[in-house]
Amino acid sequence: MTLTYYLVLAAILFTIGAVGVLVRRNAIVVFMCVELMLNSVNLTLVTFARATGTIDGQIMAFFVMVVAAAEVVVGLAIIMSIYRTRRSASVDDANLLKY
Amino acid sequence: MIEAPDLSLAALAPLLFVFGAACIGVLVEAFWPRESRHPVQVTVALVGTLGALVTTLLLTVDFEREITAAGALAVDGPALFLQATIAGLGALSLLLFAERALDPARSAFVVSAAVPAGSPRDRELLTVQRVQTEVYPLATFAIGGMMLFVAANDLLIMFVALEVLSLPLYLISGLARRRRLLSQEAAVKYFLLGAFASAFFLYGLALVYGATGSVRLGDIRSASLAGGTDVLLVLGLALLVVGLLFKASVAPFHTWTPDVYQGAPTPVTAFMAACTKVAAFGAILRLLYVAFGTAEWTWRPLVYAVAIVSMVVGAVLGLTQTDLKRMLAYSSIAHAGFLLTGVIGLGAAGDGSGLAATMFYLLTYGLTTLGAFAVLTLVRDGDGEATHLSQWAGLASRSPLVAAVMTLFLLALAGIPLTAGFTGKFAVFRAAIEEGAWPLALVALLASAVAAFFYLRVIVLMYFSPPAGAERGQGPTVGVPGMPTTIVLAITATATLALGIVPGSVLDLAERAAIFVG
Amino acid sequence: MSEVLPAEGLLGASWLLIALPLAGAAVLLLGGRRTDRWGHLLGTATVVAAFVLALLCTFQLAGLEERSADVDLFTFISTGDLDVRAGLLFDPLSAIFALLITGVGSLIHVYSIGYMAHDPARRRFFAYLNLFVAAMLLLVLGNSFVALYVGWEGVGLASYLLIAFWYTRPAAATAAKKAFIMNRVGDVGLALAIFLMFAQLGTTSYAGVFGGVGTLAGGTITAIGLLLLLGACGKSGQFPLQAWLPDAMEGPTPVSALIHAATMVTAGVYLIARSAPIYDLTETARTVVMAIGALTLLIGAIAGCAYDDIKKVLAYSTVSQIGYMFLAVGLGPAGYVAGLAHLLAHGFFKAGLFLGAGSVMHAMNDSVDMRRFGGLWKKLPVTFVTFGLGYLALIGFPFLSGYFTKDAIIEATFDRDDWLGWTTGGIAVLAAGLTAFYMTRLMLMTFFGRARWEEGVHPHESPSVMTAPMVVLAVGSVFSGALLVSIFPLSDWLEPVFGEPEEAAHVIAPATIGIALTVIMLLGVLAAWLFVGRREVPVTAPVRVSPVTRAARNALYADTINESLFMRPGQWLTRALVWVDNRGVDGAVNGLAATLGGSSSRLGRAQTGFVRTYALGMLGGAVLVAGALLAVTAG
Repeated sequence: MTLTYYLVLAAILFTIGAVGVLVRRNAIVVFMCVELMLNSVNLTLVTFARATGTIDGQIMAFFVMVVAAAEVVVGLAIIMSIYRTRRSASVDDANLLKY
Repeated sequence: MIEAPDLSLAALAPLLFVFGAACIGVLVEAFWPRESRHPVQVTVALVGTLGALVTTLLLTVDFEREITAAGALAVDGPALFLQATIAGLGALSLLLFAERALDPARSAFVVSAAVPAGSPRDRELLTVQRVQTEVYPLATFAIGGMMLFVAANDLLIMFVALEVLSLPLYLISGLARRRRLLSQEAAVKYFLLGAFASAFFLYGLALVYGATGSVRLGDIRSASLAGGTDVLLVLGLALLVVGLLFKASVAPFHTWTPDVYQGAPTPVTAFMAACTKVAAFGAILRLLYVAFGTAEWTWRPLVYAVAIVSMVVGAVLGLTQTDLKRMLAYSSIAHAGFLLTGVIGLGAAGDGSGLAATMFYLLTYGLTTLGAFAVLTLVRDGDGEATHLSQWAGLASRSPLVAAVMTLFLLALAGIPLTAGFTGKFAVFRAAIEEGAWPLALVALLASAVAAFFYLRVIVLMYFSPPAGAERGQGPTVGVPGMPTTIVLAITATATLALGIVPGSVLDLAERAAIFVG
Repeated sequence: MSEVLPAEGLLGASWLLIALPLAGAAVLLLGGRRTDRWGHLLGTATVVAAFVLALLCTFQLAGLEERSADVDLFTFISTGDLDVRAGLLFDPLSAIFALLITGVGSLIHVYSIGYMAHDPARRRFFAYLNLFVAAMLLLVLGNSFVALYVGWEGVGLASYLLIAFWYTRPAAATAAKKAFIMNRVGDVGLALAIFLMFAQLGTTSYAGVFGGVGTLAGGTITAIGLLLLLGACGKSGQFPLQAWLPDAMEGPTPVSALIHAATMVTAGVYLIARSAPIYDLTETARTVVMAIGALTLLIGAIAGCAYDDIKKVLAYSTVSQIGYMFLAVGLGPAGYVAGLAHLLAHGFFKAGLFLGAGSVMHAMNDSVDMRRFGGLWKKLPVTFVTFGLGYLALIGFPFLSGYFTKDAIIEATFDRDDWLGWTTGGIAVLAAGLTAFYMTRLMLMTFFGRARWEEGVHPHESPSVMTAPMVVLAVGSVFSGALLVSIFPLSDWLEPVFGEPEEAAHVIAPATIGIALTVIMLLGVLAAWLFVGRREVPVTAPVRVSPVTRAARNALYADTINESLFMRPGQWLTRALVWVDNRGVDGAVNGLAATLGGSSSRLGRAQTGFVRTYALGMLGGAVLVAGALLAVTAG
């Protein structure tokens, strides 16, 4: 089984994530789609680490996980605060700033 | 047995200062009594940033370019120049954060971000004299991230720095004390789009890693020299660039900018406009010239195109804005385009005058825009800052000094001679023309002319219109700034004038600093 | 041009000339209401101090062997091969301008203390005046075209601010806008000329440009000359950009005297005289300068006959007199000195005339309608005498200043001895007669005849703070001509700039021209007396019923002649011009603005405020970026 499959899978996951950001309304789900994109990158990194025979890619995947965790903390805090005010987590509702 | 990486502590001193201050700030937040916490936090944050500024300046004396921290950091001319710029502008922004005389509630930041906006408890807190001090460590972390960003010699470090600078920014842009709905909306938008953009950057990183087997900028350079440019590498470059252009608010990745600039608390907007721009362009320059300098022909048309789009979008959309913060946001987009003109002027071998010109432009733009936002914090009505254009009508008759200072900044943003803005524009356009990109310089000139219109409109409005709401006696008031804002205004105005009239020495400095290590 | 030496001694401090009024303006503008009480005194003091300094500098300059001093201020930009330095050049040419600006400027500042005494915004007025003086001094003292340009824009700004000083009056706001826009048209020309110089020669300093201009192609030199001329026309109110100047009279009268008569509007003449080394090399451009000068001086003189507004008549007179100066400097080496002498003399008598007009307006409750004046000589004796002397100087009464200087221009024009010289010279002589006509009409309607005052008007002489400057200027108008032409010849003083004066050819004997001009002048005066002086001036301008019959019936009435001969075609022309202006100029400007504004709102609609739209835009951008990069790599 070639490594290409993993790469293609990762690319598909990345695309699903990106499309999810575009089509989903709930801020939490949008955010999860972003997380999906990050994890698809992790898959890519690990695959490339295997392909190039270096360990760097795997280490980078750990970095990404840590950063993603930090992002979750910040993101959920922000989404929570707006949810408490608006009683809605829909990203389309937050639409005061425009033009 | 793992070998400890070689660390040149001297070269890392500026970063250690800032991150040290940020960590101490967190501890202070946890353990210092609340009543006296504010001055302590301000002191810690200022000591950290000013210490970083001083150490970067000390490093430039008798300075040797080096790559340190196991190859992760490049301490070279551009890094030091931009780190000094970020530290200085960051310190000024922190002073704006610390202003307590303007808002009746003594601070621009919400006391408790967790309380829902508009709830009874929120209204209660609006009159409480308590101030929120978490913003200082957060901003200090962001400044640290920015300083790391411009010195990163490794895509992974660049990514981590990107997140370290972004995450605190997402938070503090949602912490406005007044108009909290707008502020929260700005934070959500900034966060979601920022996370989206960093996912692109990260995927680009992974692809480049796959193509070259390394994320070290120098290795990417040699790999692309040896192996030519394969699809993976080019795709990786594209995605990396997207991530960075987002941070630099270059069109078509600018959409977040107006909303976030308008919604965020004004001191934070000032901080973002000045410092984030410097950091993002530092990273763009380093990525394009250190890692992809040999494949320059691939990205040059792209930068050319986005520069034009950005200038046009910023200048044209700015025309119909009625909110000053939003107008300055579009101005920031146009300026990103002008800065890219300087990036084009870097030359095939990276030895053109474009690097010095771009760095100089970043410094002048940062100072000017910081000053302009600082003036915005002064003019207020019952609901915080009065940023609607109509509220500024006839300001000169009520407060000639404020109007004059604002005029200076607007003229500088428009690039009128004898202000810093002119010198900066002149330098980048000249660099672009030297590299034969005169069509780009021409578009840039036209865009400047269009943009000049909306800056001048504000000036005309301030001087030649009857005062807003004067007949009903309910026009905006011009607050008397406390010491911090006064210092910021004095420094930025003086620098804007000085860099316009006698820019020679600073231009020299930028020129001497303009060599990458890599 | 002679060798330029670094400045020593007092000349090294000539930057103070600019800094003093600039500091005054800064203090007054930034000081706010705190400076209300003494602001006007500070504003006047800075200009007087600048005048004293200019005098001292000029004396020192006169003692120098080279009579030229270069004051190096600072390095503006120095990167690589580019070295832009800011500096001043104090030479005989800039010296006379500096003296004129600060001298007349001081007098007008003093006058304004009285004139603006009851205006609540007097401090702001003095701040703008100081700003103007500073910018004007920068314009004439800078040692490069860029410095000149900065000063040029500065005076434009000050002029705009001062025309719109009473911005609550719609007419003032409109006039200011008109001046601003027409000046911009000229400024584009100047800017392009400077770009062209920089592109071709790599420098904009006078020394560098004049040193290198000889190496350029003829076409380029002509282009630079014509572009500079466009700039000069805008600033100096010359054809086809003359229309803003009469409208600019909406500003306070001291402004009209200082900016729109004595100094700023002569900047175009300065520009052409300063660029003499360029114009010396391009016959074509000089011919155009002459033609424009001749055309404008005629247009101005004709239009001057048709107005009842005292300031508008004086404004058209200014347009016409500057036409004379353009004609002179267009002649090349033969005419520079004559043109500048006329400029200086004009500075005296026109400033005096405007101040006199201001004094009349002051007495008549700010009315400018000459039909409502009459018989004022008894009530305003000082104004009458000083105004009368200015009037005599302007129409070229023998041995007053205008006589010498206008005479010299016309002489030099005929000395060309070709069709252009004869045509333009003839026009100049004709216009001299018209000048006498309209000025006499103005005198008669204002000071003589029956009093036609509106009810409640009680004319009174102005305070001495206003009359004193008028007296000084009147003395100047009487003697400056003789002084400049015979006693201290300007040609000797300016020799380092324009070289040895050539021996004049004297195609027509100077005495003949002098006598002929005097006769023409007297004819003009007589005609005015016949049409205006002999009969009652109607309080309202006659209403037209059927123009042809009316013109026949009332042919002797000067106003009817004015109307049917000048105003009517003028109105047609104006209407045509307005049409062109609306459809063409405004159309283009408005169209551009509308296009930009429209695309702005259309593009703005893309900024929907929805996060998901933004994300879509980013994704689209990313796809484009990736696609573009791949295309470039593959292609």
